[in-house]
Amino acid sequence: MRAALRHFRRAPGRILASILALTLAVGAVGVVAIPAVSRDAIRTAINDEGIGDIIATTTPFSHAALADLRSIDGLTHLEIASDRSANLADGSDIRLVTFMPGHTLDRLTIVAGRAPSHIDEVVVPPGNSPIGESLAINGVDFTVVGHGTTVWWTSEDAVYAVAGADTRFNRVVAQAERTDETSLQALSERLRSTLGDVGATYAEVPILLVDGRAPIEDALEQVSLLIGLLGVVAGLVALVLLASTTNTLITERTRDVAVMRALGGRSRPIRRRLRRMALGITGVALVLGLPLGIVISNLIARLVLKEFVGITPDTTVDWRVVAGSAVATLLGARMVAARAARRVSSIPLADALRDRDGIGFGRRWHHRLVTRVSTGRLLSRSALRSTMRRPGRSIAMVTQIATAVGATVLIPGLAMSIDRSNVDSLKPWLWAAEATTADPGLALRAVEPDSPTYEERGIRFWGELSELEVEVVGLIEGTKVFDPRLTEGRWITDGSRDAVVSRGFATREEIEIGERITVELPSGPHMYDVVGLSDDFVRAVYINRTTLAADAGVPGGANTIWSTDPAADTPTGLHRYDAVEVRTLDDVLAEYETGTKALVAVFGAIAAIVVGVAVLALISSMLVNLYERRHEFAALQAIGARRRTLRGALIRELLPLALVGLGMGIGLGMLGTRGMICFFESANSIDIGVVDGTGSLPYVAVATVASVVLLGRLIVRMATRRPVAATLRGAA
Amino acid sequence: MLQSCVLPSAASDPLAGNTSPGHPLVSARSLTRIWGKGSAAQVGIADVDLDIVRGEVLAIVGPSGSGKSTLGALLAGIDKPTSGSLVVDGQRVDQMKPDALADWRSRRVGIVFQSFHLLPTLTAVENVELSLELGRDRAKRRVRHRAALEALNLVGMRASHRKLPTQLSGGEQQRVGIARAVVTRPSFIVADEPTGALDQANGHIVMNLLTGLADAGTTVVFITHDLELAATAHRIVRMVDGRIDSITNGGRS
Repeated sequence: MRAALRHFRRAPGRILASILALTLAVGAVGVVAIPAVSRDAIRTAINDEGIGDIIATTTPFSHAALADLRSIDGLTHLEIASDRSANLADGSDIRLVTFMPGHTLDRLTIVAGRAPSHIDEVVVPPGNSPIGESLAINGVDFTVVGHGTTVWWTSEDAVYAVAGADTRFNRVVAQAERTDETSLQALSERLRSTLGDVGATYAEVPILLVDGRAPIEDALEQVSLLIGLLGVVAGLVALVLLASTTNTLITERTRDVAVMRALGGRSRPIRRRLRRMALGITGVALVLGLPLGIVISNLIARLVLKEFVGITPDTTVDWRVVAGSAVATLLGARMVAARAARRVSSIPLADALRDRDGIGFGRRWHHRLVTRVSTGRLLSRSALRSTMRRPGRSIAMVTQIATAVGATVLIPGLAMSIDRSNVDSLKPWLWAAEATTADPGLALRAVEPDSPTYEERGIRFWGELSELEVEVVGLIEGTKVFDPRLTEGRWITDGSRDAVVSRGFATREEIEIGERITVELPSGPHMYDVVGLSDDFVRAVYINRTTLAADAGVPGGANTIWSTDPAADTPTGLHRYDAVEVRTLDDVLAEYETGTKALVAVFGAIAAIVVGVAVLALISSMLVNLYERRHEFAALQAIGARRRTLRGALIRELLPLALVGLGMGIGLGMLGTRGMICFFESANSIDIGVVDGTGSLPYVAVATVASVVLLGRLIVRMATRRPVAATLRGAA
Repeated sequence: MLQSCVLPSAASDPLAGNTSPGHPLVSARSLTRIWGKGSAAQVGIADVDLDIVRGEVLAIVGPSGSGKSTLGALLAGIDKPTSGSLVVDGQRVDQMKPDALADWRSRRVGIVFQSFHLLPTLTAVENVELSLELGRDRAKRRVRHRAALEALNLVGMRASHRKLPTQLSGGEQQRVGIARAVVTRPSFIVADEPTGALDQANGHIVMNLLTGLADAGTTVVFITHDLELAATAHRIVRMVDGRIDSITNGGRS
């Protein structure tokens, strides 16, 4: 302990910077745990709510169908519910689900208060209305009696009262005997068939939890993988920092080690002592960093899950990540320390005893080469030569600056690319407002209404193509609300089985014009002929409305009304249709923006950690530089250099490194943006396109140069704090 | 010897205070340097009164820890006294702000260090030239370079002017250090154990150079353990426990 304190007193600034940076880095590596933390949280929520293996939203069916549904082979249990959209007094939409006291599947989990026991009682998700408050749902008065999860729950009768006395069901939750993909697919088919017997069908493609895995987990893993990569970058930067600090701490002891060797000390125990010192620093960083990693991974997982899944998870620890990062960090530290210790203990004794700071300038060929450059002021020459004196450190500093700049450039690029893609994905749409039926199914008649402004009815729901979720859109041949922006082929014709597919998606899935594709609709698989490709930045298939309605099991049905009237979202516009949700393109963009912001916030947080680690590493490198050259600075002062002169000399030395780092960082950031966008494009089979955040570059450049100048000033202030005589005496 | 340098001698510098012989160039009164406070206080020197006249060679001797290097650092302006006054060439050095002190050092003082303190990344001639550059010498670079070469010539290092410090022996490095100290033709030179890291032969060369400077009118203060070397000075100041124990005449007086 006493030895550790002595080491600490010798270089407290550098050791603290190393510990802090390594702590942050170990914490950042903790983000690798996000998939596991998210998965655990989702699965806990699934268990708590008793979510089944198949969750299906259907067109309405009566309670009489329950017996038939429950008699299907391969089921262990099945329950039905009524799941309705409704509006609060402020116009916001909610999902209201029937609360059945005896249900074991899709059940309500009370987190506060109690379950509804009366027709005018409701349980709401936490963070909404407080318990005891009264509120109106679709004009019907309720009292909040408890807080539950994600949706609003009330009694069966109350749901019917809100839904206008429609007593039919539209949700099936089933628990299967076997949960592998094939068994669940087969069971889903049997359910669809039985629903067909009672005149109903799926309104959306059912959700299958294959082996208990929620579909959202794939998306979370995508995001988590990229976050994890950034975490690993932070870890690598911190290891470089650890290497640099360890190297210096050990190199400082070159003469001490030489004295010990001269007195008969054996190399092996000396090396062991040096390694122990590096491991001590790492150990402290681990003690602080591992809990930080747990906090970071849980915070980010919470942010992601709350935003994209709507659940607030409990704190979870992925012990594999904790153990992995601890072992990797310790091994890295040991490796670095062992190398430095071996080098220090193998310098010839005579050299080591004479030379305190390692190899002097002029003994290597590149030192002599750069000495031939004899233009410019002497301190500029000295700056250039000092950079070349320890190329390893100069490269490390450039890398640290490049990492910080890269992480800073990446985030605006990512945000702008996703934003641009969102805006572009809406460009083909020419409507001003869109109304969709509040409940699943094709509840509207596909007849153009008698309206003073242009209104067009159509279909939008989700299907599957090439095992990927696609938006299936039903439009008429002469549509005025959608500009197909065809890059190839032609538009669909009325009454045909034509299909136009999103170009980026078609390219990635190798779908070509003339090909016959099978689209999995809620009602089952249906075949269409690809006649054109649309440039729309989404994953969509456009089919003739009449054909699609018939295929969906509701001939002549529709679920969407588009209006080109800019005032269509007013009460006299599309709101005149009952039970519809109305939104404008701006509303859609705002929804997209919320998602983008959450994504950018998550990446921004981890990028901030990377920047923090890199800046700490840079400060540490500069402190090491200062320590090694403190006698040089003092000698310069002794022969008349002002503080300003020293500052100028140091900045002249740092500026070229900063500029190289800036250039490399911008390149890395742009490359990183491309890599991430490419990853998203290929994982989701869509076009996103890259927009470089060039607007941020001047700010990044100014910030980089200003930071380096500030750091230079700080370093010189530190270097000149002690009286010159005191520093020089230490060198004698 | 130094008159051969392309730069004018200190004696002809109009900025150089009272230049009459016998008038004290350096005047220290109650000069005290203490590090730390309270029970942790460590006294470097206490109540030192000392006058040094122009052209004088003064040796400071004493056992280790007696305060001789502290006194040298204060005289050279690279440390600040805790109390007392120090007047050099009519200027209150102890009251100068850091930048003014840096300017004063670059123009008036030449410092020779025991461990040389040459910049490792600059060649011999560049190290010498650096003193002129830092002193904001307005001469052209070529003139400064020539002056640096002249200074190196004086110390017999002209042939090695392109060598880096690591390519020079200890004696050679010290000679470059002396060239660096004299190239700005300072009023006085403070040399802290200039021969401490050298062998006898190199030590003699260095001392001859320093005493030669005094012959040219420069005041030289040197700190040494070597009583034989000290005897070559005009006066010898003996320090004990941070105070002047005695001042005696040396062989030069």
